[in-house]
Amino acid sequence: MILLADTTDAALNWTVLTPVVAGALAVWYLLPTPRKRPAFGGLIAGGVALAGFAAFLLHGVGHTAPATVEAALFFGFAGSAVLFAVLMITNPNPARSALCFAMVVLSTCGLFLLLAAPFLMAATIIIYAGAIIVTFLFVIMLSHQHGPSSADLRSREPALAVGTGFVLLATLLVGLQRVYDYRSVQAVIDESNALAKSEKIDPEYLTARRDGDMGKPVDLTPRAKAYVGRAKVALARLKLAARETPGDTDLGWHAEVKAAEYAIADLERTPFKDGDAEAIRDETSTIARSLTYLKAVREGAVAPDDVTLSPYGRVEQIGAAADGSPIITITVPKKMPAANVAALGRVLFTDHLLAVELAGTLLLVATVGAIVIAGGRRETAR
Amino acid sequence: MITLSHYLAVGAALFALGMVGFLTRRNMIVMFLSAEMMLQGVAINFVAFSRHHGNMHGQVFTLFIIAVAACEAGIALALFLSLYRRKRTLDISEWQDLREAGLGATADTEPLPRTVEEPDPVLTKAGVAPKRPMEENRV
Repeated sequence: MILLADTTDAALNWTVLTPVVAGALAVWYLLPTPRKRPAFGGLIAGGVALAGFAAFLLHGVGHTAPATVEAALFFGFAGSAVLFAVLMITNPNPARSALCFAMVVLSTCGLFLLLAAPFLMAATIIIYAGAIIVTFLFVIMLSHQHGPSSADLRSREPALAVGTGFVLLATLLVGLQRVYDYRSVQAVIDESNALAKSEKIDPEYLTARRDGDMGKPVDLTPRAKAYVGRAKVALARLKLAARETPGDTDLGWHAEVKAAEYAIADLERTPFKDGDAEAIRDETSTIARSLTYLKAVREGAVAPDDVTLSPYGRVEQIGAAADGSPIITITVPKKMPAANVAALGRVLFTDHLLAVELAGTLLLVATVGAIVIAGGRRETAR
Repeated sequence: MITLSHYLAVGAALFALGMVGFLTRRNMIVMFLSAEMMLQGVAINFVAFSRHHGNMHGQVFTLFIIAVAACEAGIALALFLSLYRRKRTLDISEWQDLREAGLGATADTEPLPRTVEEPDPVLTKAGVAPKRPMEENRV
């Protein structure tokens, strides 16, 4: 596997590496140390990391974000959340850290609003930014120390910790890319469609077979071999992504997987010859149709037969045009209930009633515990 | 279109940054804020999946996260106060006696920068008349 490719097919490509490496450098550089470092280098690395993260969001996860109001708001809130998160963990002054955390919470609330959760936005602002932050500021005030303290000006194992955290981040980003970036699958589908539609097959795919070769294993041309290999990889990815469920294995998802597997196996055995053009067109159109269907299932646009949909979801079915090419109407966003608070309350007090009671008990116990731990001024003067 | 994966990426970034902060910072309050930031990353994930599936269960989970975080904050701040009363510092390394057996103690070798502290302002004591220049008596 090529590690450092500029396509998102490789596990570690530039869209992942840029934000992770530059971000790790920036955080390591800006973390408090007894020796003062000029902030210049950290700022440059941080800017590169933020730009890289924006590029990852724009191109790395498969869907390119168009310039809409939603996209502008999302990038604003996401950018300020990440920026203030970095400032929070690198600021030596705990009071400023608390204020930066308040900004992180406010940006998160903006994201909640974009995700159609207005009640959560209000609750988070009131509880986090209103109550928790103010309590923190009180504690900081009560325990205010004069002069430099090793609590604020030293970091514990900065290099190792930054390495750990950013390796975790790289793993998560690569995982997101592997799950949500279907451009390589789309490339296979496009190539299959092109092959299926072509009158005369591109000579690069065609295998030269002489008369005496009967019975010998077929040796595909590099182009054809690459195509078959990529089709196999795409099918394996789509199969991996779906759940193994008991059910009627002759219908829907299973049938499409089987059809694609047989078509790929046939293509591997069949020499790409001019005389086989009809067979090749058949197989490639089967591969294109199956992969398109599996991809649509994976993206949630089409319901496989064994998945229960939420009552709010709406699904468009897959169909076929007169000439056999697949028609899929997809990406109908599932609707959230309009009355957010009412719907939240209904779910909370029907499906999660026991959890609500437990949360109430937990709050009570925590209150008692906090009073017991902090109560009583038994300080002795030192 | 802003999809689920975009929000998951933001949540992942917040989670990782919170983890770095929790591991490196030595002020107990900042450590706790970092842990809360990890919770924020998880909350974004929950709400994004709630939107993706078109039902409210993710938002309910986020509500419970907020409730647990509030409990946590109350207990943790009470603990910080009692720990501060013992050692007069919020430095978590003061409590490294509690570390695992067989690990060496970490010692801080680099000296902290000296900063000149401004003395607190002192007010004139009440009750004593300030000196004033003698007035000339004209007789």
